[in-house]
Amino acid sequence: MAEESFLSDDFVSQLTAVGEVDILVGLPTLNNRDTVQRVVNAIIVGLVKYYPRERCALINPDGGSKDGTTEAVQAASIPDFRAVLASNPLRTMHVVSAQYPGVRGQNEALRMLFAAADLLGAKACALFSPDLESLTPEWLDAMVRPVLKDGHDFVAPVYQRRRFDGLLVKNVLHPLIRAAYGYQVEEPVGREAAFSGRLAAYFLGDESRREDFPGLGAHVWMTTAAMAGGFRVCQAFLGPRVAASKRSALDLNTTIQEIGGSLFRCMEIQQAYWTSRQGCEQVPTFGFQPVLDLDPLRIDRRRMYQMFRTGVDQLESVLEKILSPATLQAIGEISKAEERHFRFPDDLWAKTIYEFASSYHHSAINRDHLLQALTPLYRGRVSSFILENAGAEAEEVERKLDLLRQDYERLKPYLVEAWNRQT
Amino acid sequence: MSTTSAPPSTAVTPPYPAADPLWYKDAVIYELHPRAFNDSNGDGIGDFPGLLQKLDYVQDLGVTAVWLLPFYPSPLKDGGYDISDYTGINPSYGTLNDFRELLEQAHRRNLRVITELVINHTSDQHPWFQEARSSRDNPRRNWYVWSDTDDRYRGVRIIFKDTELSNWSWDPISKSYYWHRFFGHQPDLNFDNPEVREEMWKVMQFWAEMGVDGFRVDAVPYLVEREGTSCENLPETHEVVKFLRRRLDEKYPTRFLLAEANQWPADVRPYFGDGDEFHMAFHFPLMPRMFMAVKLEDRKPIIDILQQTPDIPENCQWGIFLRNHDELTLEMVSDEERDYMYDMYALDSGARLNLGIRRRLAPLMENDRRRLELMNGMLMSLPGSPVLYYGDEIGMGDNIFLGDRNGVRTPMQWSGGWNAGFSVADPERLYLPLLSNPVYGYQTVNVEAQRRSDHSLLSWMKRLIRVRKSSRAFSRGRIEFLQPRNHRVFAYIRETGNERVLVVNNLSRAAQAVELDLRTFEGYIPVEMFGGNPFPRIGRLPYLLTLGPYHFYWFRLRRL
Repeated sequence: MAEESFLSDDFVSQLTAVGEVDILVGLPTLNNRDTVQRVVNAIIVGLVKYYPRERCALINPDGGSKDGTTEAVQAASIPDFRAVLASNPLRTMHVVSAQYPGVRGQNEALRMLFAAADLLGAKACALFSPDLESLTPEWLDAMVRPVLKDGHDFVAPVYQRRRFDGLLVKNVLHPLIRAAYGYQVEEPVGREAAFSGRLAAYFLGDESRREDFPGLGAHVWMTTAAMAGGFRVCQAFLGPRVAASKRSALDLNTTIQEIGGSLFRCMEIQQAYWTSRQGCEQVPTFGFQPVLDLDPLRIDRRRMYQMFRTGVDQLESVLEKILSPATLQAIGEISKAEERHFRFPDDLWAKTIYEFASSYHHSAINRDHLLQALTPLYRGRVSSFILENAGAEAEEVERKLDLLRQDYERLKPYLVEAWNRQT
Repeated sequence: MSTTSAPPSTAVTPPYPAADPLWYKDAVIYELHPRAFNDSNGDGIGDFPGLLQKLDYVQDLGVTAVWLLPFYPSPLKDGGYDISDYTGINPSYGTLNDFRELLEQAHRRNLRVITELVINHTSDQHPWFQEARSSRDNPRRNWYVWSDTDDRYRGVRIIFKDTELSNWSWDPISKSYYWHRFFGHQPDLNFDNPEVREEMWKVMQFWAEMGVDGFRVDAVPYLVEREGTSCENLPETHEVVKFLRRRLDEKYPTRFLLAEANQWPADVRPYFGDGDEFHMAFHFPLMPRMFMAVKLEDRKPIIDILQQTPDIPENCQWGIFLRNHDELTLEMVSDEERDYMYDMYALDSGARLNLGIRRRLAPLMENDRRRLELMNGMLMSLPGSPVLYYGDEIGMGDNIFLGDRNGVRTPMQWSGGWNAGFSVADPERLYLPLLSNPVYGYQTVNVEAQRRSDHSLLSWMKRLIRVRKSSRAFSRGRIEFLQPRNHRVFAYIRETGNERVLVVNNLSRAAQAVELDLRTFEGYIPVEMFGGNPFPRIGRLPYLLTLGPYHFYWFRLRRL
């Protein structure tokens, strides 16, 4: 029996009208009425400004918004292009909205985009968030150009972050992916991305796409799948990222579930690739990096420290099943340190992450519980990181992060051994 | 003193009924140069007797009017647009009697004849200018625009940017500057001088009296100059036009005036006045956008410009064209659009001239028969009277190495024989060399060969014109754009009275599907106009059509 199409007749009909495109921009939405019009306008101006001759379409997979988001997308318009760009668009700009089926969120939205890109023969695709407040037309060019003009397959964003912002990325995702997959990508889970048409087709056909990656996990999958698939990966400077919806510290558990869990799952799927990957390469970085002195993010370090100590104390029986005795003992020892002397050393942190990844792989305990257990340890690492870098300049912080990355890389055999250990 | 003489004694009266005064609205115009069409006396230059021999061909093509490029005495430094005698015939082309015979024979074939009225300027060899420059107090002095300095009318754009540095030229004889919007050898006449207006009316009267059906008035926007303005489209220019129109209507009510005003539609609109200026004006900005649309595979440029086009009085009409004797002008496009056109259609910089592209239709379409058909199909179905440029009906090529715009003015290719059947002269004597390359050369592209095939471009063009003339919806109907989601499909309804035609063009090189919202015509049966086949009746659901690459449909919508 033929597989039922996941694309609605109306969506297919709209794509038929769009026809072959050079650039396809994806804008998944769900109740983003208040912010989406500005995003659509910025994208359209970017397309007209930087790619006036290319055939472009904006595809808006919507999760069933109740607030009039798709109507806002369709109503977005630039009343007078000449006033904005001193020129008028040469071509028709298609904006297609369609509801994606099911409740799998980002995964289904991406599936629709991959299918649209494949069907329309898109040469380059870009993905943006509907709540971006800092999006400018230049972002579109920064993301699309490496694909369209330089033959890259995947473009990860580089945001300019405030000090102490993105600590999960800096302490876990970036160094782990760098050590394991061998690519130095600053933001492996950027909310924005660009990819080539051939990578979109690969994504669409890749069985692992059917995994249920929650939330931002789909972005982790895209990044690592592009790396593991041997595609040309690069990154592009975008500048500071400001979005209307911000995750609060209360969301940390969820974030670790989504991102950490997805990364560990991807490592399972792609283990043949990364376990044999040697070395680490710097990916090309495009665009202009602005020098902005942004205020540091305020984090309640003391509370993080206290939650770490409480977590280590309360979760000892769980951590015993996840961590090696030596690692657990070392963590136990640092948790007893006075707050002002508290340090979570780089090598210990790298080993901790590696043992969590391996235990996830071996299903040492329920995977959700495992990921929950990582949260207090991560809080300890963050608290330590802030304490260590409280008065440091950006360059000094970067130098220390480099040491952390080196530890991750140095300890990769430890990860591989733990990963491959028979249980 | 030289002035326009009395009209010739034997006027040629149109044999057709005193005619529909709006005949130009249904016209299909064929533009040709007597010099390029057929040479009867073997001197290497086309002439009126030669054209007369080919009049049956023109009639057979199905066009209803012939527009003759300048045939007046001239130094020919600008294709005859540098006139040195307004009421004479360049001896190379024949005599006034030859022209009179041509008019007679054309009218017998129901062909109207439109001639050039180059009133903005004369040749510097014209006796008027020679007199004017002879001394500052010559009675003709004020027939031209003079200045002691070259700083009057500062900022006025130079049209022939590739050759002219200023709109003023120094006259060493009268030691002053004279104004010219085109070449330096074409001094502008001074229309502030009533004598000049009267003289131009006499010129028109001369030819109208002989039987000429209409005048294509050259370079209209530039007739009058005023300080602090662009010296284009001035109210005083409109006064000149109204003056000539009033005189023409009074004495020759079925004759018409066609404006060459290369301007934006909103700026051309005043030249129709309240139906009391020009009967017809060329729609210059539409033409490049048709080329752009086919390259972009997007209807947007055409719809944009037509939506910017204001309504015109009921007795007026647009003149539309794909190519003509000039370069494909890109004055009325944005910088981005011009860059795009250059990159798409004139990568060879030799094809660029002034702000345009000096190429014929077939080379622009890369000799793609399907694109040639599509472009001609749009030309024949969009609002306006279509103008065909001689040779384009057989897909003639060009030679961009001949300088200026001569590359698109080479001899008509009648056959694969000696000099393409154009002339019995030695090939070296031809006014311009024939095209001889393997793709567009006369051995390959010629009338004789195409006449033999029902499927040649020539035969197809005849059918196209015939079908176009079968419905007044094309010539007089209003247009309503359909907006199917597929932007590669350009669809519209032409409608007048009870006649309705649906036109669907695929601008893409690939096959396309399109759903048309035709609910307004629910119950109608679309009948394909070339083959006469009925298509499924229109219902409530979107009407699905598929079109091959560059394919188009014309459907007569019938209520049966």
